[in-house]
Amino acid sequence: MATITCERITKRYGGVVAVDALDLTIRHGEFMVLLGPSGCGKTTTLNMIAGLEEISEGRLLFDDKDVTWQPPHKREVAMVFQSYALYPNKTVRENIAFPLQLRRTPREEITRAVTEVAEQLEIGHLLDRRPSQLSGGQRQRVALGRAIVRKPSVFLMDEPLSNLDATLRLSMRSLIKHLHHRLRATFVYVTHDQAEAMTLADRIAVMKGGLVQQLDTPEGIYARPANTFVAAFLGSPQINLVQGEIAPDGSFARGAFRLALPPGAAQPGRAVTLGLRPEDVGTLAPGLARLEARVDLVSPLGSETHLEVVAGDDVKLTLRVPKEWRAQEGQVIAVGVDPARLHLFDATTDARL
Amino acid sequence: MSGALERRPGPRRRPALGYDERNAAILVFPVVAVLLVVAAYPILYSFWVSLHDIVLTRPLRRPFVGFDNYLRIFDDERFWLAVSRTTVYTVVTVAVTTLLAVLVALLLNEAFPGQRILSALLLVPWATPSVVNGLMWKWIYDPTYGLLNALLVQLGLLERYRAWLGDPDLTLLLIANAAVWKQMPLAALLLIVTMKAIPDDLYRAAKVDGANVFQRFIHVTLPALRPGLMLVLVYETMISIRHFDLFLIMTQGGPGDASFTLSWLIYVETFRSLRFGTGAAMSYVLAMATFLLSWALIRWLGKRI
Ligand SMILES: Nc1ncnc2c1ncn2[C@@H]1O[C@H](COP(=O)(O)OP(=O)(O)OP(=O)(O)O)[C@@H](O)[C@H]1O
Ligand SMILES: [Mg+2]
Repeated sequence: MATITCERITKRYGGVVAVDALDLTIRHGEFMVLLGPSGCGKTTTLNMIAGLEEISEGRLLFDDKDVTWQPPHKREVAMVFQSYALYPNKTVRENIAFPLQLRRTPREEITRAVTEVAEQLEIGHLLDRRPSQLSGGQRQRVALGRAIVRKPSVFLMDEPLSNLDATLRLSMRSLIKHLHHRLRATFVYVTHDQAEAMTLADRIAVMKGGLVQQLDTPEGIYARPANTFVAAFLGSPQINLVQGEIAPDGSFARGAFRLALPPGAAQPGRAVTLGLRPEDVGTLAPGLARLEARVDLVSPLGSETHLEVVAGDDVKLTLRVPKEWRAQEGQVIAVGVDPARLHLFDATTDARL
Repeated sequence: MSGALERRPGPRRRPALGYDERNAAILVFPVVAVLLVVAAYPILYSFWVSLHDIVLTRPLRRPFVGFDNYLRIFDDERFWLAVSRTTVYTVVTVAVTTLLAVLVALLLNEAFPGQRILSALLLVPWATPSVVNGLMWKWIYDPTYGLLNALLVQLGLLERYRAWLGDPDLTLLLIANAAVWKQMPLAALLLIVTMKAIPDDLYRAAKVDGANVFQRFIHVTLPALRPGLMLVLVYETMISIRHFDLFLIMTQGGPGDASFTLSWLIYVETFRSLRFGTGAAMSYVLAMATFLLSWALIRWLGKRI
């Protein structure tokens, strides 16, 4: 039972506004990811939810209870830190048991709970070691163990995987996802890694400059980015953004570059930014717009191939194409683009049209 | 997985002196020579003295007596009196210094207005020469002009001026107070440095885990502070046990024998009675005691880290 409601939450450090009138409702049992570049206020938001950072303005509710001024231990949240933050002088067992000890849980119950958690996280053989004797992945498991042993209704995680190497990150990612399924608790997860956000989240809040840019499901955010920032932040390789205007015939134009748009997409003459995801190209077929371009660079990745191409005079695009396409550098190719999959943004406000 | 953590050092052989090491030896030689002259020579010479019955009133008679001087010390009841005075003084000084240093470090580790100025002020007593410190406190305790008397009388806590240092029950504690005033800042500074190294996330984790201020101190601060505390304890013990200048300036061992400590005894024996042989032997006993005590402290505290 924990729905978290942020009502116009603001955090100021002196003159710096770290989080600006944030409105966010995190549903019970939801996996919410706060995604954004460095310095956008993710950690600050999480710390305010945890009670580690005073809220300058606004209200924070857990279910219907106002917890704005409650200290962390009254909020029944658990937190996992990027730095693991394990107590260095305590063994793994003592680290995991610590929150229960503070709650004066009976000893047999602590033992049982620690054993159970250790089994879940496969760290049973490490219980008598100290944090300094563990690898990064093992440490993060212990930190997770310390969080779940209390069975809190809210989990807060601040970039828990960013100190791990790529393979470990993948396995920890699925571990966290499994934990979420099993615990049925509310997760708030901070990351700047879009792949992590996409795979883990029920919903993503994309942040920038202390403001939420878009709040939606991963699919929604990917398919209908609210502005160019969100569009560019998600997806790898990045979305192609081309500045231009709407030609009299309703197509997109930049110099010699033309691309057909869905009918009535925008007023002719309007300055717009066109967004084309690298993978939204295919073989030419009826109903598809034709895109002609000269291949500049071919990067075969095995499973697929990335092409850097130049269309029109100076429009540089990155395309993701099947590995079977044997494009040569210097060759001119023609591909098909589904106009319905194109994104249009206002050139001045950067907002989606 | 556990195998990777085990370290099994192979048999090590001492390599012959390599080219670099030979050069190093040449370069280090002057320093070693100076140390030998200014440190080793006096140490060895005083040991030689301690094995002879040297009394400066009869300078030409200096028979070799072996360890008689040492044996005589342990039969001397002044020695045992001095040991008990020194013990009280050292325990009080070290305990109060350490406790206060922890408190001050905790306070100054927090951000509050004036924290920087206070930190700078903290260093004033430390920078005061100990002779000046002794004179200052002697004045503060002075029976007729003393600040302490004036203050207590004005506050109505005291009826009449007292000769503070003349009270045998208080003397040692009052001198200890002067020592603490001078020594505490360095200890506090050392602990602050140790505290600054504790990651903030540990405190945040402890807060979320439900630890209150006191529990955070016990479970986060104190364990991290242990190396610093050990250093403070050992260092303070080593210097307090040998304190001399405060006693010379403030009480000269008195009133009666109330502040008759080991270093005072050595001074009296050597430079007032001019019995250099026993004086040197006593110095040796004090030095060995300091050494053994420090070693024991390090062993004992080291095991708990
Ligand atoms: N204690 C502080 N004092 C002043 N400014 C701060 C403080 N903490 C954070 N800020 C500022 O608030 C803004 C948001 O910081 P925050 O730590 O929430 O960013 P973040 O999104 O977590 O970034 P990162 O991905 O680098 O961790 C930043 O501009 C930062 O400089
Ligand atoms: Mg952060």
